[in-house]
Amino acid sequence: MIRLSNVTWRYGSPTRRVAGGRSADPATALSGVTFSVPQGGFRWLLGPSGAGKSSLLRLLHLEALPQSGELEILGTHVGVDVKRATLARLRQRVGMVHQDFRLMPTLSISDNVALPLRLERRDEAAVADEVAAILRWVGLSERSGALPAELSGGEQQRAAIARAVIARPGVVLADEPTNALEESQSSRIVGMLREVSALGATVIVATHNDALVRRFPAPALRLERGRLTTDESSTP
Amino acid sequence: MSEARGRRRDGLALSRALPDRSLLAMVAAMSLLASLTYAGAVGARALSSRWAAGAANLVTVQVPDPEKLPADTVSGSAASVSKATAHGDGASSASSALPASQVEKQSGGQNAAKPDMTRAAAIEAVLQASPDTQLVHRLNASEIDKLLAPWLGAAGASALPLPAVIEVHLFHSAKLSADTIASIAKIAPGSLIERNDAWRVRLLDIARSLLACAALAILLVGAIGAAVIAMATRLGLGARRESIEILHGLGAVDGYVASRFARRVAGLSLAGGMAGTLLALPPLAGIARLMAPLSGGGALNFGSGETGFSIAETMTALTTLWGETPPALLWGLGVVPFAAAFIGWITAQVMVRVWLRRLP
Repeated sequence: MIRLSNVTWRYGSPTRRVAGGRSADPATALSGVTFSVPQGGFRWLLGPSGAGKSSLLRLLHLEALPQSGELEILGTHVGVDVKRATLARLRQRVGMVHQDFRLMPTLSISDNVALPLRLERRDEAAVADEVAAILRWVGLSERSGALPAELSGGEQQRAAIARAVIARPGVVLADEPTNALEESQSSRIVGMLREVSALGATVIVATHNDALVRRFPAPALRLERGRLTTDESSTP
Repeated sequence: MSEARGRRRDGLALSRALPDRSLLAMVAAMSLLASLTYAGAVGARALSSRWAAGAANLVTVQVPDPEKLPADTVSGSAASVSKATAHGDGASSASSALPASQVEKQSGGQNAAKPDMTRAAAIEAVLQASPDTQLVHRLNASEIDKLLAPWLGAAGASALPLPAVIEVHLFHSAKLSADTIASIAKIAPGSLIERNDAWRVRLLDIARSLLACAALAILLVGAIGAAVIAMATRLGLGARRESIEILHGLGAVDGYVASRFARRVAGLSLAGGMAGTLLALPPLAGIARLMAPLSGGGALNFGSGETGFSIAETMTALTTLWGETPPALLWGLGVVPFAAAFIGWITAQVMVRVWLRRLP
């Protein structure tokens, strides 16, 4: 479960101001954002470039902390006073898929996918079984020994999804995961994320691909200039 | 074991991220300096202790008119003795005149002197009879000539009325008793007894100063080593910034990343420390050879003790270094690689944890 209440987040110093600017401070990435997503819910996160989609996902992935308002992820209240160890533990339960994949270039696909389990110090035999199963699910069993550079964009994104979900996180976030991918690959990626949601994880996918949103209808959160303008959470 | 293998496959690839060779070389150089400094301190301490002990146990007695008969047998008059303590720039005398009756009472060792002896021989006999003395040696004419040669030349000493000089080696921490001093005063009034306590104090002060300098030098070497390691760690952090951010995003705690860096840096520092310590052994063996004549044999006595080096003698010195070097030096040299590893470990831990603070 994710819950935000009147969350504000600014880049850099919170006192920064631009004289004679527009109504919203350019340093303010998110302003007064309030919404919640239940466990197992799937949400599209929509909005034009610079609307604050990536900033919101950074907050939800705990790469930044809100300067005001309340943020609760998987039952844990996240504020500026939260301990670093708590944040690290919480991050292990939040899977993240980036548009640029962020795979370790020196590691094979199987080692990349195994990273979250190894950070949890799981037994290597169990890690091998889990990796084999998840690579079968994303269709990369035969490429397990390859380096990321040897894979296509779609394959790398599937590997990134495998890494994001292998530890069975409670929340999965995806930032433009189908960017620069072919239509068929995009559909396959979103199909996998819907499966993850159906298995009980809360999933939020940021995109500006309207065709994809129409193909996979789901409630949407729409951001404009850092403010939440639409929340279709009431939509079944 | 498998967990450790798994840790190594986390994408940090620190063997390529850290400047291994230069870090190892720098730590080796620092360890070499630390080893030599420490060995120098131990050597200086050992030599000063030896010299101080020698100075403390040596007493020189100068007997005026040595060939005359003892004063008490000639006149029976009052005797006096001058006691002096050397202060490096000469001897200052503090004469004390004792009434004959009192000297007679105090005199205990005079029985050793026979009536027909000269003053010098009588005092020599008294000193030999004392339970505090280990060795009594009266300098002969050629020894006195050699002693005065710098001032009077090769043939100048024989024409002068010189006092007899008697070297007395006391047992450890022993002193000439009041009875013996009184006997000397009675036999030859105006005798000068010169003790070397002041030299001992000065030598110990020098040793303490050298030790303080060595400690400061070792601290500085440690600090420079830590700075070098800190810079290397920063280079490694910069090279692996993206990988660290990925691991951080996957939930790696600060301790995990810090430990990975610290283990690698500590390993390199340990290897560098061992290399530096091993490199210090040949020069130490050479110095030990040079010090052999000064140390009077024993612990640091290697080879012939003559100046000049030969590979064979240095190798001999190296092979015997283990068995004959003072334990404090061996322990110290053994500690150097581990100290280097600890400095590396703690520096890397601090650097990485501080760097990670920029990430939430």
